[in-house]
Amino acid sequence: MAGSREARLAALRGQIAAIQAGTRTPTPVLPFGDAAIDGCFPGGGMPLGGWHEVTGAGLEDETGAATAAFVSLLLRPLVKTGAIVWVARRSDLFAPGLAGFGFPAERLIQVRTRDEAETLSVLEDALSTQGVAAAVGEAEAPDLTAGRRLQLACEKRGGFGVLLHRRPYGGARKAAVSGSAAFSRWRIGPSPTPPPPDDIGLGPPRWRVELERCRGGRAGAWILEAQEAGHGPHPFRLVSQLAVHDVAPTQPGLRRVG
Amino acid sequence: MAGSAGLRPPSAAPTPPPLGGGSPPFALLATEGGARRLAAVDERARAQGLSAGQKAADAMALVPSLVTFDHDPAADRAALEALCDWCVRFSPAVAIDATDGLFLDITGTDHLWGGEDQMLVDLVARLARWGVPARAAIADTPGAAWAMARYGDDLAIAPPGQQRAAIESLPVAALRLEDAAEAQLPRLGLHRVGQLLALPRAQLAKRFGLATTQRLDHALGVASEALTFRRPATPWCDRLAFFEPISAPEDLARVAGDALALICQRLEAEGRGAKRFEVVFHRLDGKAYPVRAGLARLGRDARRLTKLITPKLDKVDPGFGIEVVTVHAWAVEPLAAAQERFDADADATLDETLAPLIDRLVNRLGENRVWRADPYQSHVPERSVVRNAPLDPPVAAKWDPDRPRPVRLFKRPEAITAIAKLPDDPPMQFTWRGRAHRVRRAEGPERIGQEWWRAGVGETDTGPDKIRDYYRVEDDAGGRFWIYRQGLFGGEDAPKWWIHGVFG
Repeated sequence: MAGSREARLAALRGQIAAIQAGTRTPTPVLPFGDAAIDGCFPGGGMPLGGWHEVTGAGLEDETGAATAAFVSLLLRPLVKTGAIVWVARRSDLFAPGLAGFGFPAERLIQVRTRDEAETLSVLEDALSTQGVAAAVGEAEAPDLTAGRRLQLACEKRGGFGVLLHRRPYGGARKAAVSGSAAFSRWRIGPSPTPPPPDDIGLGPPRWRVELERCRGGRAGAWILEAQEAGHGPHPFRLVSQLAVHDVAPTQPGLRRVG
Repeated sequence: MAGSAGLRPPSAAPTPPPLGGGSPPFALLATEGGARRLAAVDERARAQGLSAGQKAADAMALVPSLVTFDHDPAADRAALEALCDWCVRFSPAVAIDATDGLFLDITGTDHLWGGEDQMLVDLVARLARWGVPARAAIADTPGAAWAMARYGDDLAIAPPGQQRAAIESLPVAALRLEDAAEAQLPRLGLHRVGQLLALPRAQLAKRFGLATTQRLDHALGVASEALTFRRPATPWCDRLAFFEPISAPEDLARVAGDALALICQRLEAEGRGAKRFEVVFHRLDGKAYPVRAGLARLGRDARRLTKLITPKLDKVDPGFGIEVVTVHAWAVEPLAAAQERFDADADATLDETLAPLIDRLVNRLGENRVWRADPYQSHVPERSVVRNAPLDPPVAAKWDPDRPRPVRLFKRPEAITAIAKLPDDPPMQFTWRGRAHRVRRAEGPERIGQEWWRAGVGETDTGPDKIRDYYRVEDDAGGRFWIYRQGLFGGEDAPKWWIHGVFG
């Protein structure tokens, strides 16, 4: 009896997985090349047919510099498969800076929009276009409908979407929307670097990277360092793993019914 | 073959008085050297003995019932340009002539009206219906057409090659001569063009200037005259005329598609593609609504173009109906025929799939909002990037990898207060947007001066106080900033500190 129960449960699980996946084939993933990070994702890396939220920690919320640098490095392995579309209301993204991270700026298409709704619609359009490997949008928190639309656009062609949360300079933070259709949610901040070996100038930049939420996976926090384009396929080098006290999912309290 | 339409008087007044029998004489006034003078008069005023150039006070004394209005040359010009655009329904090549005339190159278009005479009648009748009194003539040369329209019979047509006979009996003023020559000729008893033609050329040129013989040549067609067409002449235009005026939005979309299909068929037949398309809806009352679409790559796919045009059709106000649609293609270049694929997605190249996206974005947002940042040979950071169309061929230049640049560059550097050791150490601490940053590590300076060789960079822009010394600094938290000091210590002004960008 116990055996048949196990078998029935396994069959049900399989059915549920099939329903959830729909007619989709398993999407390819974008691995970090380090088991400590890739282990947090159910597929062993960030899935391509989905979109991801990236927020900045502290001051980065306004300047969006560390987030932009992190995203451009993250997308570096994808560039050979297609163009990257970067949609924003502001035009302060500086291509020579991205080129400094080994990001080929000739594959970058920049779009300046007038308002947030336009940003999201251009992002959606770009993600559902064949030939676009990834699309990045700078916006404030989109609502659930917009998030769901982005998700559908990503699934169409296996596009990789990134939404950079960016607050207008001096503006108030918008109330965060509870829940999101994004696959994962990241918080990026700068991290102090040690003196370079010859003690001249600055070494490669480091970031404090927190994976706050990941569908079907678990959270994590690390210090990552930029790896030059010539040093292997992966753009980041893991410096150290951080404890995730502050971002660990809170246990839902037990509620008594009746 | 050219047709000329002379318009008079200029239709400048915003509320032109009705031309009915009972209306008073009308004149436009202009201020010339402190005196008010008549700039233009209508037929009724002319009949009462008024003429352009008369003093306003004299005119008012002669004709107390004279209605006047201020002359507005800019509005005149705008009205003429609008009329010029409207005339595109007769021929794509329309040129504005001075302040009150239009030249239409009707070569090859008159058969659409069933002949030159019917075209001429249609043109003048339509103009008359909207209260634009006009005279028109057709001749082989613009010069002869001008002369006949202004001094000959109305609606005259000179048969091919017969312009000499057509202008012989006209006054010499019909030749568009210089003022001095025009004043001199009648004094010598030369009143008719025919008299001039009988004279020996050499003496004529010597006595009245080369311009005189040149004008004669222009009129006779011995020398060709260059006209400045309002839009460059293009063979890539087509038109659709309708039996009944249309106005339903879905009809507009359909005829736009039909018109585009028409021109795309021609483009395909000749192995060409175009980058810019324009569909112009001509309303019954003469207003024209152009709708444009641009392509990132040469193309001739009517279905795709229709998709780009259709969302913009809500700007077209059909009014009482659209009677004619013209379609133009610009930037036409050879485009090799491509094999239509059986499988749409299989091996589509990057450009084929990206181009429609770029087209959608450009047509929706505007051309300057979609770009690719390309390197430009300049040390000055804000000038080191040039924006190109995303699918343009790549440029050869590269940014120098040894000069690190920030990920975010501010449009305008922001002032910071910094504490730094003299004379050129990086700052130890700086305050930006009310927040203090203690500098842990720094790199620099990288000295960048103004490009003195560039036009527009004055001497005051290149002095030592304009030199920028850039530092990359990292603060306590690991944030990296690109800050610079403008000017040198020991100069007249104390150097200032600025932040220009943020590294990731």
